[in-house]
Amino acid sequence: MPDRWFEREPLWFKRAVFYEIHIRGFFDGNDDGAGDFRGLIEKLDYLQWLGIDCVWLLPMYRSPLRDGGYDISDFLSIHPDYGTVADFAEFVEHAHQRGIRVIADLVMNHTSSEHPWFQESRANRDGPKGDWFVWSDTDELYRDARVIFVDTEPSNWSFDPVRGQYYWHRFFHHQPDLNYENPQVQEAMLDVLRFWLDLGIDGFRLDAVPYLYEAEGTNCENLPRTHEYLKRVRAEIDAHYPDRVLLAEANQWPADVVAYLGDAESGDECHMAFHFPLMPRMFMAVRREDATPIYEILERTPAIPQNAQWGLFLRNHDELTLEMVTADERDYMYEEYAKDPRMRLNLGIRRRLAPLLDNGRDEMELMHAILFSLPGSPVLYYGDEIGMGDNVYLGDRDGVRTPMQWTGDRNAGFSHADWAQLYLQPLMDPVYGYQAVNVEAQLRTPTSLLRWVARLIALRKEHPVFGLGTYEPLRSDNPRIFAHIRRWEEDVILCVHNVARSAQAVQLDLSAHAGMVPEEMFGRTSFPAVGELPYLLTLAPRGFFWFQLRWPAR
Amino acid sequence: MSFDEQALIEHVVRQRWYGAKSRGVAHAQVLDSVIVRADEPRLALALVEMRYETGAHDVYQLLYSLRGGELEVDDDVALARELVLTLRTGTTLYGVEGTVEFHAVPGFAGLGRDPAEVRWVGAEQSNTSVVLDDEAILKVFRRLEPGVNPELEMLRFLTEHGFANSPPLGGWYAYSGGLLVATLGILQTFVRGGLDGWELALDEIVASPDQFLERLRRLGEVTGEMHSVLASDPNDPAFSVETPSVETLGLLTATVDEEIERVFLELPDDDELAAIAGRGEEVREQLRLLTHGVPAGRVIRTHGDYHLGQTMWADGDWVILDFEGEPLRTFAERRRKRSPLRDVAGMLRSFAYAASAVSFLRGAEAPDGWETQARTQFLDGYFGTVDPSLLPPGAAAERLLAVFELEKAVYELRYELEHRPDWVSIPVAGIVRLIEQPAAAS
Repeated sequence: MPDRWFEREPLWFKRAVFYEIHIRGFFDGNDDGAGDFRGLIEKLDYLQWLGIDCVWLLPMYRSPLRDGGYDISDFLSIHPDYGTVADFAEFVEHAHQRGIRVIADLVMNHTSSEHPWFQESRANRDGPKGDWFVWSDTDELYRDARVIFVDTEPSNWSFDPVRGQYYWHRFFHHQPDLNYENPQVQEAMLDVLRFWLDLGIDGFRLDAVPYLYEAEGTNCENLPRTHEYLKRVRAEIDAHYPDRVLLAEANQWPADVVAYLGDAESGDECHMAFHFPLMPRMFMAVRREDATPIYEILERTPAIPQNAQWGLFLRNHDELTLEMVTADERDYMYEEYAKDPRMRLNLGIRRRLAPLLDNGRDEMELMHAILFSLPGSPVLYYGDEIGMGDNVYLGDRDGVRTPMQWTGDRNAGFSHADWAQLYLQPLMDPVYGYQAVNVEAQLRTPTSLLRWVARLIALRKEHPVFGLGTYEPLRSDNPRIFAHIRRWEEDVILCVHNVARSAQAVQLDLSAHAGMVPEEMFGRTSFPAVGELPYLLTLAPRGFFWFQLRWPAR
Repeated sequence: MSFDEQALIEHVVRQRWYGAKSRGVAHAQVLDSVIVRADEPRLALALVEMRYETGAHDVYQLLYSLRGGELEVDDDVALARELVLTLRTGTTLYGVEGTVEFHAVPGFAGLGRDPAEVRWVGAEQSNTSVVLDDEAILKVFRRLEPGVNPELEMLRFLTEHGFANSPPLGGWYAYSGGLLVATLGILQTFVRGGLDGWELALDEIVASPDQFLERLRRLGEVTGEMHSVLASDPNDPAFSVETPSVETLGLLTATVDEEIERVFLELPDDDELAAIAGRGEEVREQLRLLTHGVPAGRVIRTHGDYHLGQTMWADGDWVILDFEGEPLRTFAERRRKRSPLRDVAGMLRSFAYAASAVSFLRGAEAPDGWETQARTQFLDGYFGTVDPSLLPPGAAAERLLAVFELEKAVYELRYELEHRPDWVSIPVAGIVRLIEQPAAAS
């Protein structure tokens, strides 16, 4: 068993800042033009400096890469472009030495059609793997299940000429769904989990978990048997792998997602789940200059078990998903954020944070501040900490997966390979190109976005209240202000954000805290004490304040 | 062997080496134990897990004896003696979950006979030490961290590679099992009749400053030799010389810059601070100038917590002690390779402290310009001895050194403001010196 460098702390993930990495795009350690585990090891000093607690790796397994690695053809090996299982284990060891944990994407719902399991299943319907996938003579079953990739897939069923039957797939037709009705499949996937856990991994982001089981007359999402299986996975983790975490990707409404965190008291399913509908509403609030959508979605967010946590993000490797908004809201978002149809993909917008916000520094800081102030653990997407751009002309989701921009030198300091050999060329445009936007220059510049993000992370980590505290919305007469209070033990934090592009004044009812003195948390400046009357604050355009409320020293 | 849980908690919590005094203990249990001596009085050691209310835990090494069936949890000298005798035999003892292996370094003089006089000496944060016949010292690690203890690793390497100015390693014992792999204790030569480097400085800066300057030149040479030896084995991955990643200096600069910003933001109004008050931007500007385009040199294993208090003068030469690194950092952090100039900066800052401490503690004054001379002597000795390929070329080495000194002085400023406001003038003077010397010409 590898040494574990952490003090046992079962709730570490509630206070953690996560950082999502596309291995191919981070750093090329063997000069072949694509990122790999050797390269990741070299950049751990940077991640440690940035202050993140946990790396989330996009799929790293052997794969034909027809869906960014979410089409896995061997669960127990590393994609050769990224290195070997030994390289992976070494990366985990080095990360742990720096106090950084590592979780990785794992797709439980389906495999690549190139996976030997599927090849065996299609070749021999009476063989041992004959019913490891969902086969049918007709494509009439489960008609109430929606098609997720509406741009490319006409149906959830595809006909396999080899076996002469239809197979079920909730995503691309080259990603057949595993048949969880089969106990051998259930066991095989547990073995996969154990394999990586034994190598020291700190957990998994479970991709596409709502779709494990199917049942006629349902939409085939969030079925009770899916939860039952996930509870079994959790029990295995709790029994043999303490301190590891399961993060559910269930792109569903919070009321449905909460079920993935298990029993309201004991929290016996996944440790964490992503909060999908929050993110589009944050963008909507900033664009409309109205904080109402943020208040509303948080009101509609149910309580979660005490030992569970939301994963919150501004952007990630997928498109900005608009499945969890109404049709009107979706039209609005398209209109405002994806005027060019190339920016749209399925039900979403494929752009990075900086271009979505027109590269506005105040807007980027405001969005980070709101994200970091909310109850949940923030997940950053690689490159967004320096305000990297995207390339909407690249196919599928590659536009937001260009190489990390390390320096202003050749290949953005990402690789020593020839320019033409790079898996994707780094951005070169005058605004977001690597000569303008890179880690080296921003490290040197105290006022850079990177330095600001590092400061924000450090500040959040000083105050457990952000990860552990309660959330109390603080509504006012001014709809352009998003204000709330976080509270944990003696720590009381007041967060006030102005989503408008003009300066705003707001009167907040803080009478419950009368006598306390707000101390601004970045500059440690004391503001006038809170009295019985409404507390008046003025905020700069897109400005925000975080205050710690303290009792004055006697 | 079973312990009453409550008695166990009460015993461990009472110990000087128990580090979590403010935390609520929820459970305590013996993870594993081995019998060191089976004859009466029976002696044993146990690994005890203390589990806190927050769900976190620590593991401690507990030594105990059994007399006529009665349990005595005590730091008995007989036990220490027994541990040393067992070390000499190189035995492996078997517990339930793992083993305790004892290793002796061949030819270590202090192991040659039964120790007659055994005494416990001062306990530190997480370990206790026992001196045997004034010849050997056994350090018993109490709060255990997984992995190889960096002090053992360093002493072993220095002993095997012939560094003459550290006390040779005599042996060690370690636990190895599914729960934990950890160093439990190390035995090394006891430096007899040595004079503590810090005390010697305070005595001689006033009484015989020139003699001490001579000694500092020698300390520079010894430091240079130490770094050269630490960088001498390309085949040992834990010690081989490495080129730092391209961001190294950028990350260091950003870290120090943020630290400067923070400490100056909260600088109180105080006459002692007048010389630097309102000069935060100047300090940051100097940092920018110092780090602009400077190469980072190489990184190696270093002492890690290097100052006069870690040295001794004995038998006409310096002995370097305490290779454990900064105690508050994790093993992994302490084992990180760093620029050797970080050690050098630590020692130079220590001279500044000594020059002022003479007046704080002894009521005397250091001769004019003593600190400058001390720096010159030490650096002359150091640069003349150390393997130059470890450092950035030429004047760049002194610029990088100034960056580490600034890092250290800013840390000291914050520390003294919090803990010893009377001493704050020392880092203040250090910072003033660093911003007033031209960055490019140095």
